[in-house]
Amino acid sequence: MTVAVDFHTAAAAEDELPPQRVYEMRDYYQPTEPEPFHNDWQKGVPIAIDLGRSMVRVGLAGKEDPSSIFPSISARYKDRKLRRSLNMVGNDVFLDTSVKSSLKTPFDGPMITNWDSIETLLDYSFLHVGVDSQNRVDSPVVMTEVIAPPFQQRFNLMQLLFETYGVPKLAFGIDSLFSFYQNGGRSGLVVSAGHNATNIIPVVRGDPLISLAKRIDWGGQQGADYLGAFLPLKYPYFPSKINNFQIENMVHDFCYVSTDYQEELKHYLDLDNLEKKDVVLEAPFTEVVKTEKTEEELRLEEAKKKETIRKLQEQARERRLQKLIEKENDFEYFNALQEKMKSMTKKQVVETLREAGFDDQNDLNKYVSGLEKSLKKARNQDVGENDDDDGKPPSWTLLDVPDDQLDEEQLKEKRKQRLMKSNYEARQRARQEKEQAKKEAEEATQRDTEWRESDLSSWTSSRRSKLEALKKKRKQRLRLKEELTDRKSRASQMRMKNIASLANDDSRGSSGKKRRAGNVTIDNDPNDTFGANDDDWAIYRDIAQESDNEIEDEEERKIYEIEEELLRYDPKFTINDSLQRQFNWRNSTLHRFLRGPRDSDPDEQHQQHQIHLNIERIRIPEVIFQPSIAGVDQCGLSELCEQTVLRRLPAEPGFSGDDSKEVLKDIFLTGGQALFKGFDERMRIEFQSFLPVGTELKVRTAEDPLLDAWRGMSKWAVTDDARASFIGKREYEEMGPDYIKENRMGCIRL
Amino acid sequence: MPFEHDDLGKVMDKLETAEKFKKPDRKRGKRKYKSTRQVMNDESKRVQQKRDESEKPFTNMITYQSLTAPPSLKPVKTYCDITGLPTNYKSPNTRIRFFDKECYDLVKSLPPGVDQQYLALRNANVVLK
Repeated sequence: MTVAVDFHTAAAAEDELPPQRVYEMRDYYQPTEPEPFHNDWQKGVPIAIDLGRSMVRVGLAGKEDPSSIFPSISARYKDRKLRRSLNMVGNDVFLDTSVKSSLKTPFDGPMITNWDSIETLLDYSFLHVGVDSQNRVDSPVVMTEVIAPPFQQRFNLMQLLFETYGVPKLAFGIDSLFSFYQNGGRSGLVVSAGHNATNIIPVVRGDPLISLAKRIDWGGQQGADYLGAFLPLKYPYFPSKINNFQIENMVHDFCYVSTDYQEELKHYLDLDNLEKKDVVLEAPFTEVVKTEKTEEELRLEEAKKKETIRKLQEQARERRLQKLIEKENDFEYFNALQEKMKSMTKKQVVETLREAGFDDQNDLNKYVSGLEKSLKKARNQDVGENDDDDGKPPSWTLLDVPDDQLDEEQLKEKRKQRLMKSNYEARQRARQEKEQAKKEAEEATQRDTEWRESDLSSWTSSRRSKLEALKKKRKQRLRLKEELTDRKSRASQMRMKNIASLANDDSRGSSGKKRRAGNVTIDNDPNDTFGANDDDWAIYRDIAQESDNEIEDEEERKIYEIEEELLRYDPKFTINDSLQRQFNWRNSTLHRFLRGPRDSDPDEQHQQHQIHLNIERIRIPEVIFQPSIAGVDQCGLSELCEQTVLRRLPAEPGFSGDDSKEVLKDIFLTGGQALFKGFDERMRIEFQSFLPVGTELKVRTAEDPLLDAWRGMSKWAVTDDARASFIGKREYEEMGPDYIKENRMGCIRL
Repeated sequence: MPFEHDDLGKVMDKLETAEKFKKPDRKRGKRKYKSTRQVMNDESKRVQQKRDESEKPFTNMITYQSLTAPPSLKPVKTYCDITGLPTNYKSPNTRIRFFDKECYDLVKSLPPGVDQQYLALRNANVVLK
């Protein structure tokens, strides 16, 4: 899947790549003046209203283009300053941000739900066309509707138009069939990929076969909603909110239909493909400018910091030294005790031991050996590092003088000197021990080098097994960490057990064995061997839930060290075997998905406000071909076409093979989604995949997938066909809303 | 030149002249709001009633419901919920599909509730009723 690249060479190549182009997130367009009015309305000229789910197009029939095109939204807003309620529509909503904040659409999915809002929209439409008649709209009206709408929808529209506006005549039709009519279609398969649904309607010799039409409940709106729900999951910590207009514009500007989805998808996140297809979008934000500090200030700050650190280190060292001395004293005391006990009788030994607070001889031995170990450890710390080393020990004059020859002042001085002496001796011992350790380490490296030079294979195998062990340990730790996130896992329960037993330790002391030994403090209770073994402390690490970053880092450092050695000396060990490679962003699917084909800097402000569109560009439009991507339990567009063309159409009575050929010669795409790049090409490929080889096939897109529906209405409204299918006001009053005249534009009896 | 807030009043004045071409004696009052679901329910009731009333059984009545595309008969392709890449792996705990180990690590570290948001994208989330 990913190409193995030595990332050192690739990193060098990256420097030559230009920075990616950054697009800004396009928001809604704010108009500077209200929608213009028209006044060429004439009594009796039909008005065509394409009441689309996203846009309304209105105009007088017979004209080339609609006079007004505006989004089908309205906003009701009570303005305090003007002291009136505003009821704005379409583009006018965007004139003012406070009005915009309360915008609503009259639709819920494909259905009209808010009829007050529709009335406002119609008011607005008639007003802008320039209707000038009194008490009624004195023009026939042609309107679009969805295919076979629920009766209530058409009924309400008829009621509204006849009873509120008093229109003399009314006709309905389907937008995509108007569009087909406008583009001169006669027989064909009309594919209407609209804002809230995608329909296919077979048309034979100008007659739509509505009974064979089908609808997929997925349109441009759903696609945008899908992206809108997905982006916050992709970038959960995105600092600004991406609004619906920006989402919609992303879909419009950057989504396209893949001609071979599976194949393209497989390689979409490859670096060379990302280089071409990855789109970077930046949300508007105000950059926070950090104040630059002068060099002098920085230097002072640095010096101050250093000074504090030094002081703290000094204090810590002093404290450790005190402890060391204390321990050494203990050690000496108990050693002497042990010596003394050798010449004692058994009874005396038992007595002494009890006095010192030990159970038996073993207990004492254990304690002493524990003490010795911790002494060694303490000496290896930084004690004795920075001491002034003049070679000869200072002299302590008073120590050899017996106490009774000294006065009070001198006694005090003697005590001080004794302390200083033991201080000095401790330092000396520590230094020796350290030098010893250093020498040993040097010898070890020496031996290691010799080993490597004399017998490379055994050296590498030993290093490799060491590396394996480390990796295994790391893996185990990571697994444990993961298991701990699950409350019911074994690891979590063990942890709870450990906490319980640690908590119990406090009460154990009161079970009769109160210990106290000479000048041993409670902290180093001689019978409590906890801590003598360094691994004991791991229990606290085990019960601490949060991850121990220091240990992780340490472990990784060790792994890297060995890997580096192996890389240098083992010819069989390559960069691909190393752990480092796994952390390289080039090999990270998620990095390429989230941050594109470049390295990223999480602290860079621009990058924080950037999103990358890559797979989404083809994933959103793909839903229409595979609704299961979005969990819609319907078949995809190509499967639907296949069923219709190959099975359902031929089964239709009165349908001949010639008709079938005619239909395939005109696959007609219209509606907003037909604007996706590659849509027609994909449809052609899909049709070819199920049609017999050599079948004549033509796929075309409407000249203007958005406006052709209205243009078709404008053209059709003045034909005889239209005249015959208008329902008059009187007919409506006599026969009710059930009465309808079916026409070739898809209006059917319900 | 940006639009002045005060001019909104003038725009509204103009919009209110729509009253002239509306019937003065029309019925007014608040219309009952019906959601898409209610509209669909009413429609299926209406269709059922029409069926019951008709003497001869009619088979192919065209309704909004009857035009809905049928479920797919083809095998469903599965994709990673995180990235969208094709995959066959599924997390046993959350049922989220993932592409590779890295995505799985992400799935495992998702904060509570987010897994359901991912599943909701393909209507596979658990809906408590």
